[in-house]
Amino acid sequence: LSFFCLGPGAGQDVGRSCILVSIAGKNVMLDCGMHMGYNDDRRFPDFSYITQNGRLTDFLDCVIISHFHLDHCGALPYFSEMVGYDGPIYMTHPTKAICPILLEDYRKITVDKKGETNFFTSQMIKDCMKKVVAVHLHQTVQVDEELEIKAYYAGHVLGAAMFQIKVGCESVVYTGDYNMTPDRHLGAAWIDKCRPDLLISESTYATTIRDSKRCRERDFLKKVHETVERGGKVLIPVFALGRAQELCILLETFWERMNLKAPIYFSTGLTEKANHYYKLFITWTNQKIRKTFVQRNMFEFKHIKAFDRAFADNPGPMVVFATPGMLHAGQSLQIFRKWAGNEKNMVIMPGYCVQGTVGHKILSGQRKLEMEGRQILEVKMQVEYMSFSAHADAKGIMQLIRQAEPRNVLLVHGEAKKMEFLKQKIEQEFHVSCYMPANGETTTIFTNPSIPVDISLGLLKRETAIGLLPDVKKPKLMHGTLIMKDNSFRLVSPEQALKELGLAEHQLRFTCRVHIQDPRKEHETVLRVYNHLKGILKDYSVQHLPDGSITVESILIQATAHSEDQGTKVLLVSWTYQDEELGSYLTSLLKKGLPQSTS
Amino acid sequence: YEDLHTFELQAPTRVIEWAPGKRVCVAGYGWSGGNEILQLLPPPTLQAKETQGLCPERDFKVECGGFSNRPVYSLKHVPDTSLLVTSGPPDSSLQVWQVSAEDSDVIKSVSAIPTENGTGQPWAKIATISARAPWVLHGSRLNSVQITEVESRKNVYMAASRNSEELSGLAFLDCNTLLFCCAKGQLCLADVRQPQSPLEAVSVPPAPCGERWCVGVGRGPQGSDSSSQPVACLSSGGHLTLTDLRKTSESLASAKCRVPSPSSGAEFLCVSWAPALEGCLAISGFDGTVHVYDAQSWDSSGREAEPIFVHKGHAFGGWDSSGGPALVTVHTWHPQKPRTLLSAASDGSLHVWDWVQSCGKC
Repeated sequence: LSFFCLGPGAGQDVGRSCILVSIAGKNVMLDCGMHMGYNDDRRFPDFSYITQNGRLTDFLDCVIISHFHLDHCGALPYFSEMVGYDGPIYMTHPTKAICPILLEDYRKITVDKKGETNFFTSQMIKDCMKKVVAVHLHQTVQVDEELEIKAYYAGHVLGAAMFQIKVGCESVVYTGDYNMTPDRHLGAAWIDKCRPDLLISESTYATTIRDSKRCRERDFLKKVHETVERGGKVLIPVFALGRAQELCILLETFWERMNLKAPIYFSTGLTEKANHYYKLFITWTNQKIRKTFVQRNMFEFKHIKAFDRAFADNPGPMVVFATPGMLHAGQSLQIFRKWAGNEKNMVIMPGYCVQGTVGHKILSGQRKLEMEGRQILEVKMQVEYMSFSAHADAKGIMQLIRQAEPRNVLLVHGEAKKMEFLKQKIEQEFHVSCYMPANGETTTIFTNPSIPVDISLGLLKRETAIGLLPDVKKPKLMHGTLIMKDNSFRLVSPEQALKELGLAEHQLRFTCRVHIQDPRKEHETVLRVYNHLKGILKDYSVQHLPDGSITVESILIQATAHSEDQGTKVLLVSWTYQDEELGSYLTSLLKKGLPQSTS
Repeated sequence: YEDLHTFELQAPTRVIEWAPGKRVCVAGYGWSGGNEILQLLPPPTLQAKETQGLCPERDFKVECGGFSNRPVYSLKHVPDTSLLVTSGPPDSSLQVWQVSAEDSDVIKSVSAIPTENGTGQPWAKIATISARAPWVLHGSRLNSVQITEVESRKNVYMAASRNSEELSGLAFLDCNTLLFCCAKGQLCLADVRQPQSPLEAVSVPPAPCGERWCVGVGRGPQGSDSSSQPVACLSSGGHLTLTDLRKTSESLASAKCRVPSPSSGAEFLCVSWAPALEGCLAISGFDGTVHVYDAQSWDSSGREAEPIFVHKGHAFGGWDSSGGPALVTVHTWHPQKPRTLLSAASDGSLHVWDWVQSCGKC
């Protein structure tokens, strides 16, 4: 199993994710993200790492995308249409529906607003999505005869999934971004005890202890309330899907509880689109949402109404949710321009803004913006930022490891030097190896494949007949012959193996000569030897046969006179290979000589 | 509340100690080993001058961590060094740790400071100072108090006392003056330069016996003599007495707090003076709350006092490992922000809170 990280960017919370995993000869690319901080080619992963001269389509068995965030799918059209890949691309249904919208949005900013040329086109996005195969949760998808994948719920955003990739009995689980605590509109990530050889987990927030959602929400509501109380207007630029739903539910509940009268608006385009997707993918939301949806339309709030452009000029307090989220164009930017000059107003940025957008500029502290036609806009309104992003922290990562029971853990998205403690923690608690490779570093993990072997019934019966009843918890030592033939493994008794292979069984017999000084007749020597052995070997069967030989178990002892010296007798001790131990013992015993006796 | 942050640690802590660079240290106190000692970097909201509600970073970052087999009952940072000292059962020895945040994020165990009495002794209370050298004052009973130089582990002072009273707390009032508080409530002073003179109680508690006491020493502004600050003693029955160490014959002031009798004895009793809010102190350890009092108006009558603020957050939290309601294990004040406190409870919660002063005085 080998793991190679083509992304993400160093240290920042938004890098680009792009991971290559080789498992039992299959090559899978996990995510294909864009780095939001760069304006040049550094924003895309360097695919030449994968293969210098081969075609990517031949090398890769499939590409898997975990969710629609640009740092996980932003480079996909570039990869499939500009670099060239025609194989299958797997993602969940919501991801497939939402990805192209985000990609198109991003393309518009980059090309139209910033005038970039080396970028993918709208048609490329469409062509790329044609290669996508959508999957359901917990559905095993056969990529080919040997490679199969399965998606698990990851929380985080609508449609986000963790993927299990399995070839034979080797498997890898890739988490993408996930969240172990449910929020108002999404559930928590969940996986079964699938015991993968490797769990690849994101660790952006691994060293963070997060402030509770309740406190974040409290402060958000406090800020909104304070602004509205003093007659100001609050603008919340949002992307159609994601945190907007959370915040709407939150505000609606708050307005109801506090009996507030100021209007809350949601731009129409937003409502319809969001409604459409949530209805379509209702199974991806949490229990509460599903229950609510059955009773009423999720966006028919009592206090939240559809927005009309003209309302922006209305006097008095109000709260408006408008797209797009980074204030780079459209309705949210229009409203922003109208309200920016009044310090009673507030804009709350919901998340990361790409460089070059107005959102990014004001978050960096800029208060004088150059708009079209060289007009300068002075920003007097309050600028706030809130981070409601849902990622797993250290506790969450431990929880996931406990659920999946992997044999090895690999952490991505973190800073290796600062993660030694977490590595030790994981290794100590779960007794597994924990890896934290850097960009461009290959990690190889050795797995213990299990090879099934058929055991013959005869051998099994024979072994169980010997000795005591086997203890079910203890391994039992067996003696057999392993035959590897025609891609099958069989364990049989040695006799059967010989028979099958058409080999004759050979018996090995050893004979040893022991010289004894004894002038008496042979039969008297034999009697002396017999009595001697009988006396010592009390636990063994020692017999004196009529033909003059002695047997000790199955070992034969015979005495003859020495050819040249009548005073010396030669004892022939003979045994089979199986009786080697007893045979050697007897020989050394006899070599010590016989006791003098008066028999 | 002006501001409220609630966090959940993986395991509950009974120590919250400030370390240089505005870091905070916490540690686990479980009996089955694997306790984590964590050095946390607080969110920028706690570091900024003004309260910023919606700050991008609202989270604690685990800067370094280490593992302790023993439960950690007490943790102190050693000034002018990158060392930490901890203590905990089953005996009164100390463990010394090295924190090297730049190279790696692991807090390593470097040495242990053993004590002669061996096992069976209660755990040692500790205080640190860096005057002539980095020192740690430690002991579990009056007759076993000593000062050890942390790096060399050399003993530099032994208290001359035959009294085997159990200690509930000790402190350096300045680089020469030591204060001891016995569990039964007696306060004793000692001078490091005069190790031979026997320790004598300078103050005895007025309240009925059977109660356990703990002490909180004020931190005067930089450069001032700590012994000019009154010392606060809190009993498990809710009695608070303030003593001026220069005039120990009579207690300066006292009051009674309306608190339930603590369910776990006096294990988590904690009293502390506000470093930036004149005359204010906080108590905890009786239940899931932290009380803040303004002691400036108190007299010596021992009347019941009304808190100026009660933090109830932990009472609405989870349950601790034994199934009981969460109990506040420790609290501490922010060194600069006047009304900001940090508190932790037995369910693993860690709260940072700042209350709105309604009367406008403080």
